[in-house]
Amino acid sequence: MLRLLTWVGALCLLAAGAGLAVAARGADTEPAAPHPIPARMLGPGVPVPVPPSILRERNGWLVSDGRTLVAVYAGAAGNDPSVGRLVIVRQDLVAGRQTVRTLDAGPIGALAIAAAPLGGSVETSAQRGSIQVRAARGRVFRLDLGAGTLTRRSRSVDTVPRPWPPRSSDSASDSFGR
Amino acid sequence: MRVAAVLSALVAGLASFPAAAAATPSPVSAWYVYGSSPSELASNAYAHGCAFARSQPGGGLRLLLLDFGAARKLNPDTWGTIDFSDTTVSNLDILRALEAAADGYHDCHVRGSADIVYGNSNYHLSASGMSGTDVWYAGYHQSERAEDLADYQVASGYDSETSDAASDMEPSWDGPSITKQLVNGDSAQGWALYYDFGSADGCPQSGSSDGPCNNGWHVSDVGYVSYHGLAFPLPEIYYTANADQWTVVRKVWNANHGGYTFAGVTATTGAGLAPGAAWSTLDSLNSGLVDSEMVCFGC
Repeated sequence: MLRLLTWVGALCLLAAGAGLAVAARGADTEPAAPHPIPARMLGPGVPVPVPPSILRERNGWLVSDGRTLVAVYAGAAGNDPSVGRLVIVRQDLVAGRQTVRTLDAGPIGALAIAAAPLGGSVETSAQRGSIQVRAARGRVFRLDLGAGTLTRRSRSVDTVPRPWPPRSSDSASDSFGR
Repeated sequence: MRVAAVLSALVAGLASFPAAAAATPSPVSAWYVYGSSPSELASNAYAHGCAFARSQPGGGLRLLLLDFGAARKLNPDTWGTIDFSDTTVSNLDILRALEAAADGYHDCHVRGSADIVYGNSNYHLSASGMSGTDVWYAGYHQSERAEDLADYQVASGYDSETSDAASDMEPSWDGPSITKQLVNGDSAQGWALYYDFGSADGCPQSGSSDGPCNNGWHVSDVGYVSYHGLAFPLPEIYYTANADQWTVVRKVWNANHGGYTFAGVTATTGAGLAPGAAWSTLDSLNSGLVDSEMVCFGC
């Protein structure tokens, strides 16, 4: 009961405050200069924002030029460890947007990032570049961050050459940063 | 003190506050916080606060949830987090970032009001060397920093803002005993509501018994971290199964305590349920018990 009263009370207080607030204020404080994050791998000790129900994470990769950021997390689907999965988090700090996108690679086991651009000279370019992803059975895929596709690296074009399209539920949410 | 304040506000404001709508709320953005330095953290938080204000739908109170990563004890006298870019961040730096978010929200304010929430997680607490006592203090200091933020908001005249705390408590990430200490510490400090924006991983999807969940948890443990003390559930509803699991959590809690309600839901893009469906699915199973709040990672 006390919890409910506390919550409702806070709602009332803030709703009243909102009514008195100035309708719109100019942004009179600009954010500080951009702070890039050099491209780096994220190991097992680094927190993962994506919950285990979505991804059983193996490793991750991150880069930011201080204005836009891309983080890629590789592993298996939370509800089916046989399905390889990538989760891509993008942030546009200038536009104030964040997207979370899931790419499934099919029943090939957990994925892990095998090779990716690293360091401070690729903070912008790597966000549209590609990284190599390896499946449990040794298959290697190429994640094209510019195109948003995951394709198998193989000479046998008739096996799995097709890009894995974004899931229909989030296809409209990955429109920036390309 | 805070309870007295909000109760008096309740009396004063009840008449003018519209009845809570049962309609699916519009999502508001929640943010994973990345930063390689304290100044970057603050800069990003300012941007998040401003962006939130500019896009805030409607005129009510909404949660601006900033997830700073995993709770950590950084040295014998310092608590904070390790963020998603592998940067350790002290609570003092987090407070500065929260204040920057408050500034950003204020500077770009259009309508409504915001509860700016210091979020962390129970990710690998034990493996990082933290004891139960350490984690208790992590929760305690988290609430303390939320109170510090409230002081800053008041001193700055930000009358459309308040503050609270939250944690992404996932059974798969650490055991129930140590995770409960986050809630216990926060509740002992006594300022901040402690939103649980985590999961009920592996819990039963039907029935009302205290069945097992992942990693040694039981349904009652999820009930504890989401409703004991100042805890308040804002569960991840990413799949239909999640709504089923949290409904079982409510039933098990009510069988022993009663009164369980949801603060809303946490949604995301890129999962099985679209954000709007996340809220309505939970509400359909718990009619009238889900507040009109939906924070969303990726919206």
